[in-house]
Amino acid sequence: MSADSQHRFEDTTAAQQQFLSLFLRSEREVFRYVAALVPNVADAEDIVQQTALALWEKFESYDPALPFTPWACRFALNKARQWIERRQRWQALLDHGLAEELARRREELQPEFDRRLRHLEDCLGRLPNEQRSLVEGYYYQRTDIDSLAENSGRTVAATYKMLQRIRQTLQRCVEIRVQPEAS
Amino acid sequence: MRLTFPSVEFDDAVAGICHGSATEPEMRALNELLRGNPKARDEYLLRIELHTRLASESELFSQVANAAASDPWPELKTGSRQRVLPPNPPLRARRPRVAQVLALAAGLLLIAGGVWALWFNNSTSRNRATSNAVAMLTRTVDVKWDPRAAPPRVRGALERGTLRLKSGLAQVVFYSGARMVIEGPAELELVSSMEAVCPRGRLLLEVPPPARGFRLRTPQLNVVDLGTSFGMNATPGQSEVHVFKGKVALVAGAAAAAKRSLDEGQAVVVQGKGQPRLMTASTETFTPLFEFQERSLASEAFRYEQWQFANAKLNQDPSLLVHLDFESRGSTEWTLHNAADRNRAVPEAVMVGCARAEGRWQEKLALEFQSVNDRVRLAVPGEFNGLTLSAWVCIKGLDRPFNSLFMSDGFDPGTVHWLIRDDGVLGLTVFGPVHGKFQILASPPVISLATLGMWQHLAVVLDGKAKQVVHYLNGFPVSRHSLKFGPPYRVGSAELGNWNARSGPNPAPELVRNLSGSFDEFALFSRALSDAEMRELHAQGKPDP
Repeated sequence: MSADSQHRFEDTTAAQQQFLSLFLRSEREVFRYVAALVPNVADAEDIVQQTALALWEKFESYDPALPFTPWACRFALNKARQWIERRQRWQALLDHGLAEELARRREELQPEFDRRLRHLEDCLGRLPNEQRSLVEGYYYQRTDIDSLAENSGRTVAATYKMLQRIRQTLQRCVEIRVQPEAS
Repeated sequence: MRLTFPSVEFDDAVAGICHGSATEPEMRALNELLRGNPKARDEYLLRIELHTRLASESELFSQVANAAASDPWPELKTGSRQRVLPPNPPLRARRPRVAQVLALAAGLLLIAGGVWALWFNNSTSRNRATSNAVAMLTRTVDVKWDPRAAPPRVRGALERGTLRLKSGLAQVVFYSGARMVIEGPAELELVSSMEAVCPRGRLLLEVPPPARGFRLRTPQLNVVDLGTSFGMNATPGQSEVHVFKGKVALVAGAAAAAKRSLDEGQAVVVQGKGQPRLMTASTETFTPLFEFQERSLASEAFRYEQWQFANAKLNQDPSLLVHLDFESRGSTEWTLHNAADRNRAVPEAVMVGCARAEGRWQEKLALEFQSVNDRVRLAVPGEFNGLTLSAWVCIKGLDRPFNSLFMSDGFDPGTVHWLIRDDGVLGLTVFGPVHGKFQILASPPVISLATLGMWQHLAVVLDGKAKQVVHYLNGFPVSRHSLKFGPPYRVGSAELGNWNARSGPNPAPELVRNLSGSFDEFALFSRALSDAEMRELHAQGKPDP
C-alpha cells in the first residue's frame, strides 16, 4: 500500500470521522436521555449503542445545519421503545404514555437539574471515605455488586441499601447548597 | 400493590429501578403513581438524574480528569499524539465503547477504507486519563494479601483505599516520595500521596525532603513527619513510634496538649486514651523491615535463576525461530544473539539506537526504546502455517497512535504488524495473499495507566489451521478472533519497537510508530502455541513468584 492510496482511504472515511466527532460530543446527553427511561446503567448503555448504530446507518439523512443531539435523541427514544417492548417489567413502568411524559418533563426540568447538580462534585468530596469508595466502585469503576458486597463484608441487599442512602445524602447535600442562592 | 408519595416504599422502588432490581408489581405501581402525581414524577426524575450523572460524569471522580476538563473530547485528528488512556480495564471490558461497536458494524464498508482509516476511527473513542493512584507497590517478599480483595501487583499503581496484608513484607512508595515498608499482618489505608492511616501493623517510613509533612495516623496517634526515618508499631489498643533519624511532630489522642515533637533516638508508646510514655528508640522490633531490602534482592535473584533454567529448555524447541533475551551479545557490539538453538536461519538481530535498561529483575538486562530511531532489526526468511509472538515489555507511555511491538516492513502479502494502539488496544494486522487486502484483529483496551511501568507479558497467536488469532496478556487470552486469510504467513524483514514503512525520507506522522518502553525478552515461534503453553511461558518469566 502506497502513501498515495492512503490519501484516498482518508477521504472515504471523512464521513465516519465527522459522525464520530458529533456523536462523541452528544454521547453523554443521549445516555442521560435514555437513562431517564431505563435507569439501569448497563441496559441504558446497550440502548445507546444500538442508537449509535442506527444513527450511523441514517447519517446521510442528517442535516448538518441542525443540532445533532436532538436528532440523536429522537433515534434514542425509538430504540428505547423497541427495547422496552421486549421487556414486560419495563413495559409496566413506562406504559400508558409515561415514557413520553418523562422525556418531555425532563427537558423542562433540565435548567433546574443543572442548577442543583453542579454541587454534586463538592458533595461527593464530603462523603466519608467508605461511602465515597463505594460510589466510586459502583458508578465509576463499574465493579459488579457482588464484588462490592464481598469487599465491604456486607450482603448484596445491604450494599444496594447503602448506595440508596448515599444517593439520598448527596441529594440532601445538593439541595442545601441550592437554597441560599434561591433566597 | 399501591404506592404513595412520599413514602419509604416509593424510595425503595426508585432505588430498585436504578439498580435494575425492581419487581414488576413495583414498576406497575410506580407507573400509576407517577402518572397521577406531578410532585412524585418530578422527584423521581431528579433522583434518576442524580443517578445517571454519577454514572456518566467520570470527572466527578477524578482530579486528573478535572484538570483536563477544558478539553472535553479529544479532537479526531489523525496522528494526534495525546497520552490519553482509558481508565482501569474492568470498566472497559464491561462496556464496549460505542465507536468500537460502530467500527465492527461498519467493517464491511470500511474494509475498502484501509488500515489507517479503521485504526484511526477505532481509536477516536478515548476517555480522559483518569487515576486515583497515590502510590506504587515496588517490592514484596513472601507476601500474602487478604483474599477478599484483588491482590495489588508489584510495580503497579495503588489507588486510594486500604491494603490488607496477612503476612510478609511490602514496600509502598508514595507519589510524594515517602517510602514505606509494611509487615503483615497489617492494614494500611492510603489517603493521599501525603497521608496514610495504619490501624494495625508494623511499618518503617522514610521521608525525603519533598514529602516533608507526610501524615501517618493510628487510632492513638497522629504523626507528622519532619523529614526522617521512623518506625511505627500499631495495634488496636496501643501505638509506638520510634524515631531513627530526624524529627517528627506528634499529637496523641484528641488532646492538643499532648502535642510534642520527638527527636532522633526517642520513642513514645501510647496505650488506649492514656498519656504518651517516652522511651528510647529500639531498632529490634523493626529488624525484619530493615532486612527487607536484602531479602527482596535475594528473592529476585532466585526468580532470575529460575527463568534462566527454563530458557535452557525453551531454546531447544524446534519451532522457536527467534529468541532474544537481550543479555547475550552477537558478533559485534550492536548485534544481539539469537538464543534459539535449533534455528540458525536468523543468527543475529541488529540494534539501532536503544539504551541499556534494568529488566524484570535487577540483574537482568533490557533494551529501552525511546527515540524515533530506536529499533531492533531482523530478517526472518520462510513461510509458516502459524506464528506466535511473545514479549516481555515495560511500556512507559503510548505516545503514538500506533506503538510498534513487532512489525514486518511495509505492507507485504502474508506479513503481520503487532502493535499497541494509544487507547491501550492490542492489535494484529494480517495482510492477505494479495496487495491491499488485510484484516485487523484488535483486543479490547487492556493496557491502561495502571499498568504503565510494569513488566507485562504480551503475546499473540496466529493459527492458520484453526483460522484464528488470539491476543494474550500475562498468560491469559484477552480476545479471540476468526481469521479470513489462511497460510502461508511471512515475517521477512521486520523491526522490534519500531517500523520501517518504506515510505521515503519524511514519513507522515501516522507512519511514525516507535515504542516508548523496554523489551527484555522476545520470542517468535513458527507455530500456534496453545493456551496452556502460553500460561506456562508467562509463568516461567513472571517477575515475582
